Amino acid sequence: MTRTAQGLRAWLLQRFTAIFLGVYLVYALLRLSLAAPLDYPQWRAWLAEPWTGVGTALFLMALVVHGWVGIRDVLIDYVHPVWMRLLLMAATGLVLLVSLLWIVRALLLAAR
Amino acid sequence: MSVKKPAPKFLNLLVIKLPPSGIVSIAHRVSGVLMFVSIPVIAYLFALSLESQQGFQQVRAWLASPPALVLTVLLVWSFSHHLLAGIRHLLLDIDVGVERSQARASAWVVNLGALLLTAVYLFVGVL
Repeated sequence: MTRTAQGLRAWLLQRFTAIFLGVYLVYALLRLSLAAPLDYPQWRAWLAEPWTGVGTALFLMALVVHGWVGIRDVLIDYVHPVWMRLLLMAATGLVLLVSLLWIVRALLLAAR
Repeated sequence: MSVKKPAPKFLNLLVIKLPPSGIVSIAHRVSGVLMFVSIPVIAYLFALSLESQQGFQQVRAWLASPPALVLTVLLVWSFSHHLLAGIRHLLLDIDVGVERSQARASAWVVNLGALLLTAVYLFVGVL
């Protein structure tokens, strides 16, 4: 892919993921506040439902992409020494992927 | 056309005034970064709450503590602003509200709307 197409791809990805993240997070927050899981079994049961699992998995993938593109844009604008920018970008990717795997692990353990 | 004011010669933060759309822009970044840095914390709390009954109770107790309430309110503002500003951004992308007066009005809606949603959360959710 050319450089311009890469920029266009990030631009498009940021918008598609934004729509999914917005819709799903608003849904999840409404669901959680209107029918709050009051105890541990309810909380676990809700997250073990197949649709919650699929929605959450998609949400996490969209979040990693959206967070990566967004933080990268901020770093490109404000952090100019190349080594520091690369270091922070690596840290960003690490934070996103470790968090993602940590949540997936918790979901898989809960769905047993 | 009215008489033009001379353009500022330097960016003195005490002299220049940020227009509402400028506030939307910087707040969109600040809120995004705030949510990003809270991802690992949320991931940890989420995993702990799912792990066991004790973990669930532990997370509940933490979330009810005063420092957690402050952080939650901050995150509610971040998400509200980021969402509203994001919707405005997507609309501007498809040429809705590009007119200067409309863009200015929608910027106010975003900035004040985020504060309003945060206030609603405070009154309904916390108090």
